[in-house]
Amino acid sequence: MIDFDALPARVRDFLRELLLERAHVLVLGLGKDWSLREVLGDADWHELDIAQPGALLASLHDLFVGIEPGSDEELPFVELANGRSVHVHRLVDGDGFFLILLDAQAARDAQRNPQQLANEAALAGHEKSKAIQSLKQIRSELEHQQARLEEANNLKNALIATMSHEFRTPLASAFGQLRELELRRSAGDAEIRALRRSLSHLFVLAENLLEYGRGEAGGGLLHPVPIDLRALLDDCSSMFRPLAEAKGLAFHASLDAASSAPACFDEVKLRQILINLLANAVRYTQRGEIVLALRWDGERLHIEVRDTGIGIASEFRASVFRPFNRGAQTGSRGAGLGLSIVQRLIEQMRGRIELDSEIARGSCFRLELPGAALAAAPATRGDLQGRVFVVDDDPDITQLLEHALGGLGLEVQCFAEASSALDAALAQPPALLVVDMQMPGLSGGEMVFALRASGHRGAILVLSANATVEARDAALRVGADRYLTKPIDFAHLEASVRDLLARG
Amino acid sequence: MSGSAFKVCMLGDFGVGKTSLVARFVRSTFSDKYLTTIGVKVDSKEVLRAGREPVKLVLWDIAGRNALDTVGANYLRGAHALLLVADGTREASLATALDLLMQSRSLLPSAQVVLAINKQDLVERWEVGPATVRQLRQSLPVFETSAASGAGVADAFAAIAAGLAP
Ligand SMILES: Nc1nc2c(ncn2[C@@H]2O[C@H](COP(=O)(O)OP(=O)(O)O)[C@@H](O)[C@H]2O)c(=O)[nH]1
Ligand SMILES: [Mg+2]
Repeated sequence: MIDFDALPARVRDFLRELLLERAHVLVLGLGKDWSLREVLGDADWHELDIAQPGALLASLHDLFVGIEPGSDEELPFVELANGRSVHVHRLVDGDGFFLILLDAQAARDAQRNPQQLANEAALAGHEKSKAIQSLKQIRSELEHQQARLEEANNLKNALIATMSHEFRTPLASAFGQLRELELRRSAGDAEIRALRRSLSHLFVLAENLLEYGRGEAGGGLLHPVPIDLRALLDDCSSMFRPLAEAKGLAFHASLDAASSAPACFDEVKLRQILINLLANAVRYTQRGEIVLALRWDGERLHIEVRDTGIGIASEFRASVFRPFNRGAQTGSRGAGLGLSIVQRLIEQMRGRIELDSEIARGSCFRLELPGAALAAAPATRGDLQGRVFVVDDDPDITQLLEHALGGLGLEVQCFAEASSALDAALAQPPALLVVDMQMPGLSGGEMVFALRASGHRGAILVLSANATVEARDAALRVGADRYLTKPIDFAHLEASVRDLLARG
Repeated sequence: MSGSAFKVCMLGDFGVGKTSLVARFVRSTFSDKYLTTIGVKVDSKEVLRAGREPVKLVLWDIAGRNALDTVGANYLRGAHALLLVADGTREASLATALDLLMQSRSLLPSAQVVLAINKQDLVERWEVGPATVRQLRQSLPVFETSAASGAGVADAFAAIAAGLAP
């Protein structure tokens, strides 16, 4: 240990200045009860008002909460309530103690810079790896969208190029004149056969393009009427039998009307399905037979279109229902629109299609279409039960939803903001929560997360104006079961609500 | 001075929002600028308790990483409660918080513990999922908080105050 008094005077002065002045030493002598006995040192720097030492003493007193009084203590780098950074030492002395405060501001500022840089770098690194990940995702979505755009563009070009509806009238009159010709001359005449083949082909093409031209908007509307299945079968036969026989194929058409109940279908759409399937069957069969079998059981129409043609390789079986798909074009089936139209029409009619096929042996399409009375069945309204919370800051939306969900038989409770809805849901969990994402105050996402984090098992449907994939993913990640976008599509909403409540 | 004051240490990785939570709770302020805490910052606030005496919480906002090195351990001495803080947008910060809890257990075997998962306002970017939170709840009280919006902050501190005797 250095004997301070033995140091040369200049060194002593230097050290005194270094320790006492630059460090702004403040010494407080205190009794056991924190009564201030003496103050030595730089009271000003430490903002100690000697007449009113209460504020500083209180914040120093705070530092020793929980610590027994009898020991010496050292607390470096303490930022007090007044914003000053100090090193604090407690020295026990007799029945009281000293508190020694040393300025730590400069040392803290010197430490802060490198620490700040290191921490910021670490945080940025985390953000960077997240950003890279989301960039990757965005890229793959872009590629996906690009492919879809190309597909849509192909479609558009085809439509513009053909102007399908312009073909209808002249085609109809050409068919009429063909029939006249067939009556006057022998129907087996090679030229007439060729004419019929070409005209039929044109007819199918034009109808398909027309269907695509209608697009999604309005295309889904069904116009079911009671139809004469026998007449339909005869129409198909008279159109395709000559084409089949001209290629040396047998053509069998049969109807099994097991029920006398009227068959209600959208006739135009049903006819289009059959024409497409038969046109393909004839086109891709070189020998053997084509079979069309219809069976009506009073509820469903079962359709089978079978051929002994070239077949469809299993790897193309899914893509064959997509428009202009390359695989099927270069593969065994020339594509175009036919099967994609069939698929779409079947979806609109709430039916199902199955495909069995074997290369070089033939293909068989089996369809099941519910009659219109059945297809409309789910509209037994007012049949649902349970409590639903609707949370949206837009009163128009809550009102709409209250009406729509109430109409399904549900007991609806509306909230204009999330936090009261959250409390209510925690107290009495609803079977279904329909919630907006963007709300002032607690957001929909925060609410959903909080519910799920507390173990809530009820169904949660998010309704949001944001149609991006990220928004959807985020909602599902915090615990939503479904994500629907505004404006509200009520048919979709109803289907989702039924589905969610059925899952229980 | 005040009869019942209790020492509460904020523990968690840097950048999770310890300083911000204290600022929100004590001063009702928030800044999105990040300023690294060096050493410790001590603040206090009185908390009302339903049907009981109010308590004064002395909040020790301890710099992220050095909470448990030799100096940091000194800061923890005598703490009555720990507010562990994690950042929901960084799953790793949750592991750090739990790690700090394990390590501090030997120093403070009887301290009360509450976990705040902060930055709830960014919940759509959280890496911590609701199932994880549900699970954590089975072993300790968990609050989703936001120093930015204030959500859950008072609740988390109130839970600490409620658990303090007398
Ligand atoms: N969005 C958001 N940012 C926050 C929140 N809490 C803290 N931050 C930000 O996160 C950064 C780190 O906060 P800070 O309180 O200094 O973290 P500490 O190192 O744990 O003390 C700062 O930029 C804050 O503005 C929050 O609840 N929401
Ligand atoms: Mg901090």
